[in-house]
Amino acid sequence: MRPGESLRLSWRSIRGHKLRSSLTTLGIIIGIAAVITFVTLGASLQAGVIGDISPDDQRNSYGWAAEPGTEGGPLAGAQPVFSQNDLETLDDDEDIEAAYGYMPLSTQALVYEGEITPQSDALVAAGPPYIRENTLEEGRQFEQGEREAVINPAVAGQFEEDVSVGDELTIALQGGQQTTVTVVGITDTSEGLSPFEGFEPSPRVYVPTDPFYTEDAAGAFPGAIGDGGPGGDGSGDDANTTDTAGMSDGALFLAIVVEAESADEAAVDRAQESAIAYLESDESDASELLGDDLEITLQTSAELLQQLQDVLDLLQNFIVGIAAISLVVGSIGIANIMLVSVTERTREIGIMKAIGAQNREILGLFLAEAVILGVVGAILGTVLGLVAGYLGAWYIDLPLVYPYEYVALAVAVGILVGIASGLYPAWKAARTDPIDALRYE
Amino acid sequence: MATPASEGESSTGTAVALENVRKTYQLGEPVHALDGVSLEIPRGSYTAIMGPSGSGKSTLMNLVGCLDTPTEGTVVVDDQDVAALDSRERTTLRGTTVGFVFQTFNLMPRLTALENVALPQLFQDVSRTERHDRARELLERVGLADREDHLPNELSGGQRQRVALARALVNDPAIVLADEPSGNLDTETEADILDLFAEFHDAGTTMVVVTHERHVAERADRIVHLLDGKIERIETLDDAGDGTPSPAGSEASS
Repeated sequence: MRPGESLRLSWRSIRGHKLRSSLTTLGIIIGIAAVITFVTLGASLQAGVIGDISPDDQRNSYGWAAEPGTEGGPLAGAQPVFSQNDLETLDDDEDIEAAYGYMPLSTQALVYEGEITPQSDALVAAGPPYIRENTLEEGRQFEQGEREAVINPAVAGQFEEDVSVGDELTIALQGGQQTTVTVVGITDTSEGLSPFEGFEPSPRVYVPTDPFYTEDAAGAFPGAIGDGGPGGDGSGDDANTTDTAGMSDGALFLAIVVEAESADEAAVDRAQESAIAYLESDESDASELLGDDLEITLQTSAELLQQLQDVLDLLQNFIVGIAAISLVVGSIGIANIMLVSVTERTREIGIMKAIGAQNREILGLFLAEAVILGVVGAILGTVLGLVAGYLGAWYIDLPLVYPYEYVALAVAVGILVGIASGLYPAWKAARTDPIDALRYE
Repeated sequence: MATPASEGESSTGTAVALENVRKTYQLGEPVHALDGVSLEIPRGSYTAIMGPSGSGKSTLMNLVGCLDTPTEGTVVVDDQDVAALDSRERTTLRGTTVGFVFQTFNLMPRLTALENVALPQLFQDVSRTERHDRARELLERVGLADREDHLPNELSGGQRQRVALARALVNDPAIVLADEPSGNLDTETEADILDLFAEFHDAGTTMVVVTHERHVAERADRIVHLLDGKIERIETLDDAGDGTPSPAGSEASS
């Protein structure tokens, strides 16, 4: 029998039992829709996180020193080991475009025109290139050695009157001291500029490490040095290391940013290798402080995000796995219905065999029926899943990314589910003895 | 493939030949459903098979219809030894050389009259237009040209049996095998159907009718009486064909 005819006949019997066929298909629809929805949301989530890395950021490698095996992402367990001396040496390296320290500083409040808003962990000290030109909405980067700051829109809009370029902002530091900075630039987004900050939007003031964190400033803000990482961990150790660092420039940075010559992967690799080679050599101050306990991690945003992505992937696989269970349930539903259908149509099978249908043609008919149910379920499920994914992404406010390869996969799964669940019933139908079948009431 | 040698070219004058056929079922102890039956059904003949329940009528039908194979002996249908064929070849032989008419009509419930008639050719890979042309022609011959789009449950019993007869004839079979064709019909409709059988027989179709009703059997040229798996006797009737009992005697038939 021609395949087209076989499909026509199968379609007829599916339409002959509309309700039953619809309910059977529903199992597959829900299974496929659940998988597609979660995969779409997962892909959108990843795009939302990873899409934030601007092309410029691909040149930067972010480094910190921590005990090997510390889990928890950027800066986890970081100890301040990078001296100003080290940074200057790295900055002069020919493979490295720029190297500067990074230090989160604890604050109490931000004051603008007499208006005070409590704010902790809003201050970030870094080198001027940390504010990339293309992330500036207006103004310019701050300069080293100046009391200047770049703020993000979350800070700018926090006060009754918007803060604009040229205004003065007063920062109340952890120890109670206050310092006033001139706002020279405003960024275009309130999301973090690097993996160190995290990517969630939050008010931030970016200032140069000099004078806010180097030796001059260190005296002015002792509290800032005492409080190490963003988590406030290991302050005791910090105090010790600060003392031992007295031999160099005094202030030690919790983290460094190494900018490569270009975003080219080879250039980034070279910059990382040069930096690590120097920092681990006896020439650097960092190597002394590293001792045997600490190890330097130096990675690009993408590499750091890979860890986050691994977690996301794991989570997604888990959810998709659960969704896949409903697919299995759906295919059992098809198998069940097909078995009922074979029994119910025993006489029809007998008739067809008596008038010349071969076993494989009977097999084909029932298999086609199961596959049609599977494919129709898969297509409807895919549409439903894409719609649900769209609504979900819109609701959580993520950039929508459709994983189109999954659409093809879903249809393939539909066919497979149909074949897998239809094979036994179809085989049973094909084996029906026409003599018995014709006698069947 | 769709046109077997029923017009008599190059083949023998025998549509079906059974030689010393034995069919044994193992039901605890062996049961001989057929016990040494030899029978020849010439082409163009009209044979009735009669006998009480359990006499082996159904078994004989299954063998002639290539649905089953004999335990012993040979069954030759359209010059082919059924026992020598594998299941697939047997199915093809059945599809092309045997046309079935059943007591319960056995039409496909979700197919229209036209599609039901065309169905056997579907399994012989005949194209759609060709199939439907042929089916239409046959529906016309059985007088149902205006009912081709009706489903079986929209047809009366007599009409259904006509559709079934048209379906049996669609592949131009060497033999039409009818099992109690009028068992579910009222007297008047029964007469119509039997007239139709006679009509096709006159046109050259080989007919075998299994029945336990004397007046149905009397439409045939001869009646084969079965009893306990054996041919009790073969009764030849006058060629009148319309129910005049023959003097050959029905004395011993129960």
